Amino acid sequence: MSLVWKLLRQHISLPQFAGFFFANLLGMLIVLLGVQFYYDVLPVFTQGDGFIKKDYLIVSKRISMVGSFGGRSNSFSPADIDEIRNQKFCRSVGAFTSSHYEVGASMGAEGMGYMSTEMFFESVPDRFVDTDRDGWHFDPSADRTVPIILPRSYLAIYNFGFAQSRSLPKLSEGVIGMVDLAIHLRGNGHEEIMKGRVIGFSNRLNTILVPESFMEWSNRTFAPEADTAPTRLIVEVDNPTDDAIARFLQEKGYETDSDKLDAGRTTYFLKVVSGVMLCVGLLISALSFYILMLSIYLLVQKNTTKLENLLLIGYSPWRVGMPYQALTVGMNLLVLMLALGFLSLLRGFYIDTISVLFPQMEDAGMWPALALGIVLCLLVSVLNVCAIHAKVLAIWKHKG
Amino acid sequence: MDKIELKNTLPEVFALRDDIRSDIWHQEVTFERGHLYLVEAESGTGKSSLCSYIIGYRDDYQGIICFDGKNIRHNKVQDWVELRKRSLSMLFQELRLFPELTAYENVAIKNNLTGFKKKKQIEAWFGALGIGDKMHEKVGRMSFGQQQRVAMMRALVQPFDFLLADEPVSHLDDENGRVMGEIMMEEARAQGAGVIVTSIGKHIGLDYEKTFKL
Repeated sequence: MSLVWKLLRQHISLPQFAGFFFANLLGMLIVLLGVQFYYDVLPVFTQGDGFIKKDYLIVSKRISMVGSFGGRSNSFSPADIDEIRNQKFCRSVGAFTSSHYEVGASMGAEGMGYMSTEMFFESVPDRFVDTDRDGWHFDPSADRTVPIILPRSYLAIYNFGFAQSRSLPKLSEGVIGMVDLAIHLRGNGHEEIMKGRVIGFSNRLNTILVPESFMEWSNRTFAPEADTAPTRLIVEVDNPTDDAIARFLQEKGYETDSDKLDAGRTTYFLKVVSGVMLCVGLLISALSFYILMLSIYLLVQKNTTKLENLLLIGYSPWRVGMPYQALTVGMNLLVLMLALGFLSLLRGFYIDTISVLFPQMEDAGMWPALALGIVLCLLVSVLNVCAIHAKVLAIWKHKG
Repeated sequence: MDKIELKNTLPEVFALRDDIRSDIWHQEVTFERGHLYLVEAESGTGKSSLCSYIIGYRDDYQGIICFDGKNIRHNKVQDWVELRKRSLSMLFQELRLFPELTAYENVAIKNNLTGFKKKKQIEAWFGALGIGDKMHEKVGRMSFGQQQRVAMMRALVQPFDFLLADEPVSHLDDENGRVMGEIMMEEARAQGAGVIVTSIGKHIGLDYEKTFKL
């Protein structure tokens, strides 16, 4: 054991350090738990499709009885679109384009019978779709396969309604992805059969989505004359929970898919709860940091003569402060490790529940807590080291 | 370091006195490496202040103190650390030992820093100074005279150009004082160092080349 340490550990107060240790542990644990819980639970509300950017709303005009019978158009004019684009909350606007020709789809697989249905397509500008996703492209000259994103509710309707009543096998998302659909396109005197492939399901988009390039090509080919004024808009906003959005929509008589706003509110609530937790944790951590600094100052004060003598016989202030610095940094590291250990225990309790309720959610792991823990630990350690050095220097200058 | 120069130096507490008669204060004084000096002082004439200024512990003085022509007021913390480790050694009047450590540990704590002496050499000194059996005794339990010898050994386990011995033998009998003087001078000569001994009465009988009255 180093003689310097043997000398300087005199007067170390175990109760004070234990106080710091447990307070810091508690603070750290609460902070990390807040952050980890936030990141674990957030995907439940924002769970994406992965296909569509997060903060968007789908806006349509309300269909009223008068409108239905009076033949009033419920499409958006360019002026309407500009008006939305000029709103403060709006980041960008894209129009839904519908197919203006006949679309039929049929699906057959051995032992499943044969299904055929009339349907339609819609597309949104590719910038709203996560286009990095494999397969979300269409080139009319090369491809004969159309990538499609279906609403997840369609699958539910099939599985729990149709398949149930007809004793048909239930289909998983994976199986659907492997089945080729035959797509019949007809209009403008042309007819074509193409392959369709479902590349994913969306909770948020109540439409059958195809790539923009396919839509342009097919409308040009099968319905060159049709009016393509959009009836739905996709609006990317800064913050879906913004009141201004709700007011604007109300004023203009537009409708939006409200669950997104609900999710926005829930997310906001989650943020508030996590934020409060984080603040409480940080406050406890700050107080424990204060306790530690007080104990160290007291310790340094009690050992002033020893420290001064060490300095006078040639020890440098860094060397003299090092035992205390190592002590605090070591304790911080220990606190971090214990906090992470407890956190993983606590997380085990709720993560199971979450994964049972939302099986499709991916477990993101403890990275957020780990990263924050390391940052906090580093920050506190740097502060400790500097404060101790400053205190030793004060002794050097006889101001301790 | 070859020279310690005091130019018109005066402790600030004496600034208002006009009866300063001293060979050191308000004089031009040079201590050179390789020489042996005695500073005789009466109580309250600033002997400990002088030592404190040279070791960099205090700087409440007027005038200038230079090491090799460099004003020590401009020394940084790191400069002092290096000086205290390699050029300046001091035997403090108040000893500044660590009572919680044993006699040997008190010497070793310095030797660990400099790595200057072998354990054997230190043990030989303990024997020569008549406290060989006290090596592993806590310093706090030793008499002041015994502690003085431990402090002297601690001052010698480092390279130095100057050794300041502030009343080194105040509590020693003549025989132990003589042995201590011998060890001290042997080490100083081996290093070619200058030695400044202060005293308010009793001092080691050595061949002082110059004596100053403080």
